[in-house]
Amino acid sequence: MPSPTSWSATLGGAARSPERNPTPPPRRSGTLCPVPLISVRSLTKRYGTVTALDGLSVEIEAGIVGLVGSNGAGKSTLLKILLGLIDATSGDASVFDLDVASHGTDIRQFVGYMPEHDCLPPDASATDVVSHLALMSGLPRTAARERTAEVLRHVGLYEERYRAIGGYSTGMKQRVKLAQALVHDPRLLLLDEPTNGLDPAGRDEMLELVRRTGTEFGIAVIVASHLLGEIERVCDHLVAIEAGRLLRAAPLHAFTERTGTLAVEVEEGSEALAARLTAAGLEAIADGRAVLVAVADERPYDVVRDAIAELGLPLVRIEPRRHRLEDLFRDGPGEAVAADAEQPPPVTAAPAADPPSADPVSGAPG
Amino acid sequence: MTAPISVESATGSIYDLGYRGYEGPRLGRAHAIRSLFTHSLRSTFGIGRGARAKIAPLALGAMAVVPAVAFVGILALAARFGEGTSDLIEESSPFGYHTYFGTMSTFVILFCAAQAPELFGRDQRHGVLSLYFARALRRSDYTLARIAGFVTALLILQLFPQTVLFLGRVLLAPDVVAKIGDDVPSIPPILIQGLLSSFLLGGLAMAVSAFTPRRAYATAGIIALFVIPGIVAGVVAGIGSTDIGNVLFLLSPTSVLDGTNAVLFDIDFASEFFFIDLPDWSYFAAAIAGIVGSIAITLRRFVKVTA
Repeated sequence: MPSPTSWSATLGGAARSPERNPTPPPRRSGTLCPVPLISVRSLTKRYGTVTALDGLSVEIEAGIVGLVGSNGAGKSTLLKILLGLIDATSGDASVFDLDVASHGTDIRQFVGYMPEHDCLPPDASATDVVSHLALMSGLPRTAARERTAEVLRHVGLYEERYRAIGGYSTGMKQRVKLAQALVHDPRLLLLDEPTNGLDPAGRDEMLELVRRTGTEFGIAVIVASHLLGEIERVCDHLVAIEAGRLLRAAPLHAFTERTGTLAVEVEEGSEALAARLTAAGLEAIADGRAVLVAVADERPYDVVRDAIAELGLPLVRIEPRRHRLEDLFRDGPGEAVAADAEQPPPVTAAPAADPPSADPVSGAPG
Repeated sequence: MTAPISVESATGSIYDLGYRGYEGPRLGRAHAIRSLFTHSLRSTFGIGRGARAKIAPLALGAMAVVPAVAFVGILALAARFGEGTSDLIEESSPFGYHTYFGTMSTFVILFCAAQAPELFGRDQRHGVLSLYFARALRRSDYTLARIAGFVTALLILQLFPQTVLFLGRVLLAPDVVAKIGDDVPSIPPILIQGLLSSFLLGGLAMAVSAFTPRRAYATAGIIALFVIPGIVAGVVAGIGSTDIGNVLFLLSPTSVLDGTNAVLFDIDFASEFFFIDLPDWSYFAAAIAGIVGSIAITLRRFVKVTA
């Protein structure tokens, strides 16, 4: 239940009275929000026989949240339901503690949305489109103009903003799409595959913009993407969904923490090394050119070093293996959660006995 | 004398203000609806768009008003030849309040066919709908604001020439006061016919264009809807089936508007449409049914369309 003093109660009141100037939700860096930013309860969405969301329940706090999943996992569907663009088949969801089905316009005044697909009329200029959409978000005319100039400059569009969008590059179009989502100074930004179609440099710039938006402007951001590498770079939380179900929701570091495994990579002789280590009483299996060794304490490091020296193997690198985000989707959901439950051993020091391990690239001796 | 440049101003630096929040008023849904209405009205005439977007609406608008201007010009010439001449011209002229809606109907239909797809078709073609629906608007707000903007544009298109006609007739008359007395009774029928025509043609044109992002299909569909039923009704009645002809007549938007026009201006309708035998109220009922139906269909379409 929202407390009577929370902004959500004010918002609800504004919806009933002739809405003049509803109090915006707090910036995420500001006062603590008494309720989760987004709350989703057993949300299901079916399109005919296709189930896009299957009883999804998750609570999302303000921050830069990555919504990851393969294509068709239900990311876009979730964003659209949160915006009230489509109705859920069953279950419910709330944003700013307002129900999405009944308070759509109140919520959307404070939400910015960057769709995945093309959504800009080619015959209009960026200035025209963005200022028009600012009016549609409820900004007065002069404010719409000023904010448009400001936000377009912010995303890096200058003189070209007066030209027709039809002549823009994909990168410029993506910037305009981001600008229209920011023009009304939302408290929540929903970005659907913001780096779609961008070259590597464009990706970097877009991700940097997203990161700054989330960290410097006090705007909560949800980035939907199927590219884990990008999500890793900007997000502090991850929500992973697969086939419309929640795989896992946790801070980013929890996804990539160390496992209790040491990977020893050699140019050749991995089988022999594995056999030697097993004989020495370690759990070791050969995996291609690498040998995976279970480490529970300091002892295996010395054993590995000695074994390599005795066998005279060309060592490439030794490194503690980390969970990778990809593992989330490669393993089943159950395995990913189980792996998370394992406590990683306190691997603190790299095996100093093997200088090559410090530099994995130049590590091949001989 | 130029003021000496102070050290501070000479070395003043430009600060990157970074991102600034917006703390001003948020006017919400009603403001968004009003803004979208204005935007739709302006876009229909190509205002706020490139030069090419203005060609069709302005050309058709000009064609709709040219007969009125020409008629007023002739009246002005005739005024030089004495009182009798202008009366004679008025009587023999094909241009009057009662005929003018018919005179410009071709241009109004072409205007609908050219400009209605500019609003709904353009938004659907380029995926802009999802940006609208993600804002402080409801789907129905969007739909009604767009329709209202287009209908208002049609109202301006049709009432402007009538205004030219009225001003010309009144101001060029030898006795202005008497002429005002003569012409003012024509104002209510002009307004009612203008409203019926704008809402019916505008509503139907918008309904057709709501169903396809393809401009060519929408244009063809609108012209077909406005022209074909009237022809079919005429042919069927011509081969002797008055009953079916009557029904078809009421299904033809332009014929229905001919009917309301005749009733409002008290024209002898039968001489022109000898085959029709319908009560006066039926034209109005058909027009209102068409207006309500077309708007309802369009609303339904945009509730369902994916964005």
